[in-house]
Amino acid sequence: MKINKQDIIKKEDFLWEIPQTFRPQMLVPARVIASETLLDAIMEDRSLVQLVNVASLPGLIGASLVMPDVHEGYGFPIGGVAATLYPNGAISPGGIGYDINCGVRLLTSQQNAEEIKFKLEELSKEMYAQIPSGMGKGGQINLNPKEMDEVLTKGAEWAVDNGYADKEDLAYMESNGRLDNADPAMVSEMAKKRGSDQLGTIGSGNHFVEVDYVDEIYDPIAAEAYGLSKGQVVVLIHTGSRGLGHQVATDYIREIMAAMPNYGIKVPDRELACVPFNSQEGENYFKAMCAAANFAWCNREIISWEVRKAWKNVFGADVDPLKLMYDVAHNIAKIETHQVDGEKLKVLVHRKGATRAFGPGFEDLPKEYKHIGQPVIIPGSMGTSSYILAGANRSEKISFGSCCHGAGRKLSRTAAKKQVNAPVLKEKLKEIGIYVQAGSFKGIAEEAPIAYKDVDEVVETIQNSGIAKKVAKLRPMAVVKG
Amino acid sequence: MKFQYFAHTADIRMKVEGNSFKELMVAGVLGMANILKEDICDTEDSFDIKSNIALKATDPTCLLIDFLSEVLSHSYLEKSIYCKVIFIKLTATDVIADIYGKKTIGFDEEIKAVTYHEAEVVKTRGNTWETFIIFDI
Repeated sequence: MKINKQDIIKKEDFLWEIPQTFRPQMLVPARVIASETLLDAIMEDRSLVQLVNVASLPGLIGASLVMPDVHEGYGFPIGGVAATLYPNGAISPGGIGYDINCGVRLLTSQQNAEEIKFKLEELSKEMYAQIPSGMGKGGQINLNPKEMDEVLTKGAEWAVDNGYADKEDLAYMESNGRLDNADPAMVSEMAKKRGSDQLGTIGSGNHFVEVDYVDEIYDPIAAEAYGLSKGQVVVLIHTGSRGLGHQVATDYIREIMAAMPNYGIKVPDRELACVPFNSQEGENYFKAMCAAANFAWCNREIISWEVRKAWKNVFGADVDPLKLMYDVAHNIAKIETHQVDGEKLKVLVHRKGATRAFGPGFEDLPKEYKHIGQPVIIPGSMGTSSYILAGANRSEKISFGSCCHGAGRKLSRTAAKKQVNAPVLKEKLKEIGIYVQAGSFKGIAEEAPIAYKDVDEVVETIQNSGIAKKVAKLRPMAVVKG
Repeated sequence: MKFQYFAHTADIRMKVEGNSFKELMVAGVLGMANILKEDICDTEDSFDIKSNIALKATDPTCLLIDFLSEVLSHSYLEKSIYCKVIFIKLTATDVIADIYGKKTIGFDEEIKAVTYHEAEVVKTRGNTWETFIIFDI
């Protein structure tokens, strides 16, 4: 199947549609939120073919959607949103991804960039020492089976109960860092064993911990509500549910693929395997996914504890504590209520490489953010800007309350390694004040800025589409990678 | 038996080939081991760990992907990389095998999963077996 530009209709500025008539199996149209320049770039890989495939999943409503940072994945495109009717529409583990509740959080400090710049190298080394990558080595905590079940049930709350975090953090996480549908009994022993020593680890690939400063404020009122000010030093943490989540997804994709014939479901790609949400297999997966999501929130909380420890080791025990601004998931499925064709419906929203972006008034927000909208954290790439946005009510109208999740890859890892001399890049970044601590030069080359789309253009597109508005721009100072 | 890596936007695309389905399975294991730690299986030496895998699947493609997923899970669990496979039973839909691995301190790359996307085990006109495999990185 090939998709040409003439197959795509411009619905509005920054909103494009492949109509349902494009292919008989499509149940809904497929929509792209992008500038025309980004759309042309998106058409260079198979993202849109994958988007069209998603539009054929049973129970899909509204439209299958991709964000401007979309790129080709394996089954679902990365940067996609798909909502199915609750409770009998499809649930698809591939629509969430292997890294369940991969997400990002932002910690704010009371220091400014000028104050800490002479300690950056020391800080990046100390953070690298405190935060294990966990790639075949394990982290600082070993959970016994009882503790593991508690983490899977309680999420970030487990970290609070065990002295790794203050209770205050919980209010500043999507779903307060805990999904109540979690059932540890639905998580395999293999998954639990794989996760037993991985709390507090970041993994490899595009996961990182990064020290940034606030370079620009676009919306002073929203920035004040979020506790952001120009020059302020902040910390971004990007990781997910580690081996535990990977194993949950692997287990259930296999099980759901085998169960599909029982429900008469055929999919154009095995990675789109799905069953009705209210089937036994669907409910079991959802409970396991919620448990893995809880593990991820606890993981980011433990990493925050490690960052806070590194901070004190470098700046002294009396330094003002790092405060959690917000924590968002970008690989998850959630039961939400949305307006679809003028009707309020309960739906299961799959977000794979997409961030929830609810506008002002949403109940699940901390009280000081309620009039502003949900914070949306958009990491750029090593060496480029990241952004803080505020969700806007238009996201409810066109994207099931969702936004992009990053810059989006444009180069393969192979191409990036061919084009980037990692030791030279590391030195160049150092010259402009960005210290990189990484497990390998290969990892630096693969995640070089050249491998990613222009984050400024992606964010500008989001702002122009109206689904979220710019609040602040961040610039990196130190990056820790696995 | 061989494996080759090709470009993919975010992940790793690997092509594996073998003169038989058995060789294809072994090529998959070695290609995956090489991603986890480059060249680790190049030297013939003793192994630190032996694990057993028994699986059934609906077709050879699922059997290959599920087998590699199991090997990967054992790699993380045992902090080992598996380089040798002794098949006790292998049909198009059924495998029982002992896998032999080397303990390692850390991996070069973390593979999140072995995906079914693009995987299709085929026997070519030249009587070789081949498929692409996408690893989620």
